[in-house]
Amino acid sequence: MLRWLATLAIAALLLLTAMLPSTSIGRRGVEAELRADIPHAVGAVGERLPDFTLPDLEGTPVRLADFRGHPVLLTFERSVDW
Amino acid sequence: MVALRPYAWLCGTVGAVLVLIGLVLFVSFFAYHAPNSQPAIPTGPVGFYFVAFAGCALVGWGGSLLATARRPAAGRSIGSVTAFALVLMALYRLAAWVVGDYYAFAGEVLRVEAALFLLLALAFLWLRPAGVVAEVS
Repeated sequence: MLRWLATLAIAALLLLTAMLPSTSIGRRGVEAELRADIPHAVGAVGERLPDFTLPDLEGTPVRLADFRGHPVLLTFERSVDW
Repeated sequence: MVALRPYAWLCGTVGAVLVLIGLVLFVSFFAYHAPNSQPAIPTGPVGFYFVAFAGCALVGWGGSLLATARRPAAGRSIGSVTAFALVLMALYRLAAWVVGDYYAFAGEVLRVEAALFLLLALAFLWLRPAGVVAEVS
């Protein structure tokens, strides 16, 4: 009896594994794949970046346009190891 | 009565693979600390600490399965807990697939591994020998 219950649970998980991409919770994985292509979507090397505002390490909003006329090095890094 | 040979073969194969992976993970901790090393896994010192821990646990788990392969009739319980552990491994892989960070690193490998582990869990569940009805002392 217990073995059949375990089998049913595993079969349900197998079904979830197969169906995951088509479920609403599975869309995040697809979005992550799309995010990987964002650098190509924003523009090519030499093109002007659109203006944007992002928080710095203290949470203060920083606008790209505030640095107009100065060299700007923009990097995105994880704040912790994983 | 389920034949013991397929169960012994399953325990032996999975056990050998687990021991091998465990040793690789264990060695990777020391390789990470070698000068100018390039880590194969994108993680830091704390991550490799737990990688080595997982490697040692895999060696123990795989060793138990290898011992069961030699005496499969006495190893029903290791089949049960191995099936349970494989389901746990599939569960967190499915969760990791949903999280974008892991998906960006491993992609569909996560879902393929989850399916493989679930199928292996079914195999362990159905190939393990029958429970002991009575013992004679």
